[in-house]
Amino acid sequence: MGLNLENAVPMRWPSGPLEIARRQKAEGFPPRVRQALERWHEPAALEILEDTPIDCLVFTWAAGLPADQEQWRTAAPLVEAARRRNLAVVGWVEDAADRGQALAAAKTAGLAAVAIHGFKGTADLPVVAWSQREDVPWDSGAPAVAIGGNVWPGVNITQGGGDANAGPTNLPWLDSNGWYIQMARARLRAPLWVAFDPPGKSAVFSAQSYANAIADSEVAGGRWLISLDDDFRSSLAEGAAPALQSWKRIAAAARFFRDHAAWKSYRSLGLVGVISDFTGPNFDLSGELLNLMARRDLLFRVIWKSQAAAQPFTGLKALLYADAAAPDSALRRKIAEFVEQGGLLVAGPEWGAQGKPAPPDFPTQFDVRSLGKGRLAVGREALSDPYQVAVDTQFLLSHRYDLVKIFNAPSSGCTRFTVPAPGGKALLQCVSYADGGRGGGGLRTIWIRDQFAKARLWSIGNDPVSVGAEPSEEYTGTDYHLPASAPRSYLALEFEV
Amino acid sequence: MGMNRREFVGGLGTAALAMVQPARLRASAPTAPVALARCKSYGPEFLAAAEKMFDQLGGIGRIVKGKTVTIKVNLTGGENTRLDYLPMGRACWSHPRTVGAVIHLLDKAGARRIRVVEGAWVWPAPLEEFMYKAGWDPNLLLGAAPRVELVNTNMPYKGAKPYTRFTVPRTGHLFPAYDLSTAYAESDVLVSMAKLKEHATAGVTLSIKNLFGITPTTIYGNKVPLDEPAPVPYGGRQEIGHNGSRQPPRSSPPEKDPTTPRQAGYRIPRIIADLSAAITPGLEIIEGIETIAGSELPRPGTTVAVSPGILLAGTNPVSTDAVAMAVMGFDPMAERGTAPFETCDNTLRLAEDLGVGTRDLSRIEVVGAAIKDVAFKFRDYGGPRQFQRPAGRRG
Repeated sequence: MGLNLENAVPMRWPSGPLEIARRQKAEGFPPRVRQALERWHEPAALEILEDTPIDCLVFTWAAGLPADQEQWRTAAPLVEAARRRNLAVVGWVEDAADRGQALAAAKTAGLAAVAIHGFKGTADLPVVAWSQREDVPWDSGAPAVAIGGNVWPGVNITQGGGDANAGPTNLPWLDSNGWYIQMARARLRAPLWVAFDPPGKSAVFSAQSYANAIADSEVAGGRWLISLDDDFRSSLAEGAAPALQSWKRIAAAARFFRDHAAWKSYRSLGLVGVISDFTGPNFDLSGELLNLMARRDLLFRVIWKSQAAAQPFTGLKALLYADAAAPDSALRRKIAEFVEQGGLLVAGPEWGAQGKPAPPDFPTQFDVRSLGKGRLAVGREALSDPYQVAVDTQFLLSHRYDLVKIFNAPSSGCTRFTVPAPGGKALLQCVSYADGGRGGGGLRTIWIRDQFAKARLWSIGNDPVSVGAEPSEEYTGTDYHLPASAPRSYLALEFEV
Repeated sequence: MGMNRREFVGGLGTAALAMVQPARLRASAPTAPVALARCKSYGPEFLAAAEKMFDQLGGIGRIVKGKTVTIKVNLTGGENTRLDYLPMGRACWSHPRTVGAVIHLLDKAGARRIRVVEGAWVWPAPLEEFMYKAGWDPNLLLGAAPRVELVNTNMPYKGAKPYTRFTVPRTGHLFPAYDLSTAYAESDVLVSMAKLKEHATAGVTLSIKNLFGITPTTIYGNKVPLDEPAPVPYGGRQEIGHNGSRQPPRSSPPEKDPTTPRQAGYRIPRIIADLSAAITPGLEIIEGIETIAGSELPRPGTTVAVSPGILLAGTNPVSTDAVAMAVMGFDPMAERGTAPFETCDNTLRLAEDLGVGTRDLSRIEVVGAAIKDVAFKFRDYGGPRQFQRPAGRRG
């Protein structure tokens, strides 16, 4: 259909009678929120998009309620105003809606596309495939895939009884979608829209919190389907100055990543290749493994089992075969070759015993054996505790191979180290999830194993600056010293060979 | 500010008791010479200075020749911290090059086997891995002499007996005995390699306070099981060490008197005094080439990097620490309420009470540089001190 959403910056645009009808079904619907939804249904509301990169409105379109028809009837002025602003309007169609009617109405109204939950098939309009994590249409030819079931990124202070230091790692527990997005991006061909709303009705979200939500998706290769909380939307609708100021900061974050879209095409530099079909019970383990490895800054590369035979394991030091069932014979042979050439395999007991015992110097759930030039670490029991598997994998691999060390950033995570296909550059991106600078505020030094000729620090809303580097005093590699004034919530170090 | 009865008993009360300690007990506490030197850098200058100090102490061959020597280094806190741009070795940890140089000198003096040990916070893996993660190259240490090993004493020691009980002479202050890694039992000589720095809870952290890290967090760490050691560490030493909110697993000796103050300023000095008596270092090396003033770890608003350029070495930990305190501008005879012990008891006095050594400068021979010539007043640097607040004042 010719709709290109490759680098679109989408935003959920809840408004109008349908959105009001939906909210009225739920408890607590303050008049102020209702007024904001009414105002956002008026063309004038689009003024807030002036000077922002947002070019795609994902507009409440059909929910299977009587108000659907009224929504379609009253939407024309807003849709027309959006078209005049070169905004692509995508209609958001929920499960309960009559899809045929919704599609027909969308076409009549001149929408650019619709996003239909669970849609499989063909339509007269481009359809953004919208699903939950469990039922993603991986091979869809949709212009974009929107995936729900995500978390609001940040430090989770409720895990473990109100103590931010609640993670099994003794690090603050972080909620991030980065691991999932990396996994999904390794399989999807279409742009990935990461769908999640600010949680709760009473919480107040800062501009920084929104910027983190954008960065969390972007660093991993996705794009957040921007969604504002009720209070913020109401304040924007009222033209409140602080809200408008915050909105500028959020827009700046979105613009930054739109302008650096090429970074998403960079390839992950991972030490550990995680092989799984990432489906069903296997996903429970392999998904959480990715999450915990990301939290520990253990750089990984996602390898979908269906693609593993065709993918080179070049650059990897270890493979983690996470699935319960043994791989097929071809993949098993390929993995065994990787081990014999010096790699480490971490796998469950179904792999079986091979090689000579080579126990490590620390307690582990794995029997470790040498095979060829490499090692096999085979679980004594079925792999079940993702935290322990992640920890053991990291120590079996050894920190001696670390590519990156980030100091004084206990609330950072989702660190990605990537390179473009032509080479010549590398990019390290890091998000600090502590709202207001706490936790990541002390980040001043980043260590990189590789040598580069120069480095530039990118941050949102600022021009890039050169970063001083010194050979590490006590180890190989280079210390990069970040300026004291540099923002810490998100940063990218771009290296040139 | 008022003081309740518990604080009196825990603080000034015990200070008052100390006043009536028989003079002859203090007078009989052992002493040993302390070597003092200027050293401005971590390169060859350190090696030469350390070798000269060891000579001034009468040579270390008499202490380490043919022995298994265990070096307790100071790697306090987490593995991914820096003070601004400064690596921890130049701030609040032992510096890797000083450790390498000392290994070389111990080997040269005839040590049969050298182990570098640390109970690195909650690290559940080999010490090498902690060092790699922190940005050290453990090969610098492993290659400094033949037969060098690195041991994370937080973990169960390999073999049939992971832990060994160390009884505290004179029944100890807080615990009558401590279960420590069997690596310490296999050691003939313990070397405490400390950093010259202050401590928010204990006033100063020198060769004796460095021993706090020998308590395995599998036994003395947070969240350990009630009956037996944890297989790996789950947390730091706050619950059993600092706060006394619980006892170690039943497999290890409990406190002598669980009604004593649950206050870090009372407990930590006693624990480390106990440890210094249970497993007394035979050699202490305190490095203050570059360090921090204000605290033991980087604390915003308090801590600053300083370069005193000082080294100390001795063979009695109380005497060595007493000279170190004097160099830092503190009185080793100071009692609770006086700097640097504003909110804690004087560890040196507590160790002295256990017969470990004397803190009386008039009884300690200082060789090499004079204290007054190298003195570096720590309280002239850094922001307002953030002392450990006494229990019960947090509301």
